[in-house]
Amino acid sequence: MERILNLLKKPAIQYSLVIAFLALVGGAGWAFYQTQVPPPQPIQFPHNIHVGLQIQCLYCHPGAQRQASAGLPTEQKCWACHGQLKKYSDPANPVPLEKWPPELQKLAGYVQRGEAIKWVPVYIVPDFVHFNHRPHIAAGLNCEKCHGDMSKKTVATIEQTVNMGWCLACHQARTANDPVKRTKLIECGTCHY
Amino acid sequence: MSSPKIPEFKAEWKEGEAGRWGLAIDMDLCTGCQACVAACSMENNVPFVGEKESGYGRQMAWMRVERLWEGQYPEVKTTPFQPVMCQQCGSAPCEPVCPVFATVHAEAEQLNLQVYNRCVGTRYCANNCPYVVRVFNWADFAINPIHANPDKDGKLVFPLHNQFNPDVTVRRRGVMEKCTFCIQRIHKAEDQAKSENREVVDGDVTPACAQACPADAIIFGRLDDPQSRVSKLSQDKRAVHLLEELGTQPRVSYLSGGSHGNLG
Repeated sequence: MERILNLLKKPAIQYSLVIAFLALVGGAGWAFYQTQVPPPQPIQFPHNIHVGLQIQCLYCHPGAQRQASAGLPTEQKCWACHGQLKKYSDPANPVPLEKWPPELQKLAGYVQRGEAIKWVPVYIVPDFVHFNHRPHIAAGLNCEKCHGDMSKKTVATIEQTVNMGWCLACHQARTANDPVKRTKLIECGTCHY
Repeated sequence: MSSPKIPEFKAEWKEGEAGRWGLAIDMDLCTGCQACVAACSMENNVPFVGEKESGYGRQMAWMRVERLWEGQYPEVKTTPFQPVMCQQCGSAPCEPVCPVFATVHAEAEQLNLQVYNRCVGTRYCANNCPYVVRVFNWADFAINPIHANPDKDGKLVFPLHNQFNPDVTVRRRGVMEKCTFCIQRIHKAEDQAKSENREVVDGDVTPACAQACPADAIIFGRLDDPQSRVSKLSQDKRAVHLLEELGTQPRVSYLSGGSHGNLG
């Protein structure tokens, strides 16, 4: 014990302990930051333009209304509109593909190759959590309650740290006057099975 | 705003309460074909552990078909086949012994839950279960190389991963697991019923074992509905509960001793 105390008096040991502590805190912070940055997407999809054109969320993510997963659109769904847009594909006055915006060139490439766009999901939960969109939409929640105002964003970003405390805070607040429903909504087995 | 208090995670058993979900197993009809065991393993991603691990007594199944012997050799008499799964006790011995509250009683569904992400693998619950129905993941059996074939580059391919049920967690090493009464199907039926603005009725939920049973010996339903098939069967005079004298209040009824019963 005395040997350890004597060692701790050496400045070199003190400095290295401080550095190790800082590295640990920094590493933990970096690891947490990594879970909060949006992942790189195959196409820099501009949500703001599409929402600005008043396209409904449910047009591209229709699963939110009727099933667990909201779904990410296929290249065919994108092309259903983009293949007909007059600005780029007017048969009388065609714009060559090279002059299209670069992100639309990528989309055209996916369509020509018949290849699925590998969108990266941004809002993810671990596989021991079973989240279902349908009851949340049926309970009258808006998409932007959890996903943020998409009319101000290009690619999807994480607006909200998705953890159990956040889920439970909302479940409890919304069922404060209904003990039967609250029992059901804060039960472990509602999400974990 | 004052947040509502979270109730304590313990079973609040009220004497005489029927429970919500129940099973009735007609042992006079059961032929011991093991279809329920296979269906259960496929529905719930229960892994196949292989010969070597089985030799250590680590085989995994959420239900087993028991057959017991009565009397002294050579005058032995066999009892009927008896499928045994988690009895979803109203007063469960597994719950109070868990140090991390990973096995808790669901107050709304009246089931015993196993919360995989909380479980640290002390195995107290399995040791305290009088029905010996809890199984432990001694290894990551889902990624055990015995399930894999090497492809042309020597990389392991797990063809069985394609048949995993996405509604059920694939459990990791060091986690206890057990029959859940197919809670994923219960949730799906409740969700469907709610979207149609009605209560869950008899026949909405069928767990994998009851669905697979060719003899219709396993019947599942609402115990709190006196008109449901399972309620009527559990009130039948042929019905018994396993180890009822322990006061665990099991939700599974076993029916035997009918006019053609106990032939063995």
